[in-house]
Amino acid sequence: MGRHVVAKLKHFPPGSRRIVQVDDQSIGVFNVHGNFYALRNRCPHQGAPLCRGWICGTLVATRAFEYVYAREDENIKCPWHGWEFEIATGRSVFNPHRVRVTTYEVTVEPAEADPSIPTFPVTVEDGLVILHV
Amino acid sequence: MVDEQYPVIDCDIHQFLPNLQALYPYLSRARQEDLAQYGLRLPGAGGYLNGGDRGYRIDAWPEDGGRPSSTVAMLREQHLDVYPIEYGILLGQDLRGIPLLPDADFAAALATAYNDWMVEHWLAQDDRLRGAAFIASQQPAQAAQEIERAAAHPGVVAVVGINGVRVPYGQRVYDPIFAACEGLGLPFMIHTGGEGTLGQPTPVGYPSYYIEIRQARQMGYMAHLASMVFEGLFTRFPRLQVVFVEGGYTWLVPYLWKLDSDWRGLRRHTPWVERAPSEYILEHCTFTSQPMEMAERARQLSTVFEWAHADQTLMFASDYPHWDFDSPETSLPPMPEPMRRRVLAETARELFKLPPRVLANASAVPESARA
Repeated sequence: MGRHVVAKLKHFPPGSRRIVQVDDQSIGVFNVHGNFYALRNRCPHQGAPLCRGWICGTLVATRAFEYVYAREDENIKCPWHGWEFEIATGRSVFNPHRVRVTTYEVTVEPAEADPSIPTFPVTVEDGLVILHV
Repeated sequence: MVDEQYPVIDCDIHQFLPNLQALYPYLSRARQEDLAQYGLRLPGAGGYLNGGDRGYRIDAWPEDGGRPSSTVAMLREQHLDVYPIEYGILLGQDLRGIPLLPDADFAAALATAYNDWMVEHWLAQDDRLRGAAFIASQQPAQAAQEIERAAAHPGVVAVVGINGVRVPYGQRVYDPIFAACEGLGLPFMIHTGGEGTLGQPTPVGYPSYYIEIRQARQMGYMAHLASMVFEGLFTRFPRLQVVFVEGGYTWLVPYLWKLDSDWRGLRRHTPWVERAPSEYILEHCTFTSQPMEMAERARQLSTVFEWAHADQTLMFASDYPHWDFDSPETSLPPMPEPMRRRVLAETARELFKLPPRVLANASAVPESARA
């Protein structure tokens, strides 16, 4: 398993995404309300670049003619056919058990100090977003 | 995954006008002024939502604020150069509603302008592109003249009409159009659209949601097919070929069974229908694949393909750049290799008379352009 620096935390605000290439794999990394997640950038339906889709909420299943908007900015909607996936789990909205996209671990770690230069106390705000593939 | 060396003939690609002014060079001064003042005035989408981003692939909208598929360069970058497209048939976009316009002469002027714009700005710019001529089918005799005129360009390989017309296409009023198509060897293509513009979209009225109105497409196609058979269209025009675009495919087989069953007891109403309806349809009609239905299991689709004679009746289409675009690599179910070649290219090659050629980009599909 490799460790790939995606970005500095301060450059990766909530609601944003980065699409990175790890070997032959395209992966989308997302900041959802301050939590980081990563998904394979390939829709299981027809292979579209899923992570370039809309980051949005969804309308949850309700009784007829009730509209309940929820999970604001927690889902990704495929740029081709509109299949919706939960970014945190990679599970599709319409069939969460059978239709899923691969997820990867993302951590936020303090930037390692370079011993050749003077160091200062670090906080997580100075951290790096790390993708583990 | 498709062998990348397989050529693909894409039977449904849409190209946009970059703006309304693009049509001006092909219109009279009077029509230009009308357009500038009142716009196209084409009947709209009926108030329904759509999919994707304003109906198109989210990634098809250019970052510079332009319109999807509005330059040959955009079409190449996102579609023609990504897949091994040997030929693509352009079916327009903005002006598809021409046959729905109340003013037949305005409609005819727009059709002529579109056809000339398509030739100059698309067919002449990339030798993979072919096009279907728009016509104002409100006045069939006038439309036939436009077919003759537009077909003078060798890149015009078909004529395209719309699903939601005033009366179904088998009726005699359309004969001049089909005579021109047959005489010139041009297939007549019907693209979905206009369902509900000139009447209610389904036999039971107006549905509420976009997903429902999409199901009116095959209702219209079923009505056109029955009309064509029982009005004797294919006995009057024995070499005519008709292509049904974007209206589904898997409904075809049970529909043929139903037509044939009913005909056995009702044939005396239309005695010119000498053979079972399915025979005319299988001989004269083809269907495009997109949006390809998904079955519970892919092999169930294989069975339907076999029953429907997919090696003769089904042609691949992507519908680029619409949101329900089908990839030539991932949208078709498993099928025998000879059938796959027929569906991806060979049936369309015969129908549109497209000479085979070596693909410049078949062995060099850029990986970066893929998902």
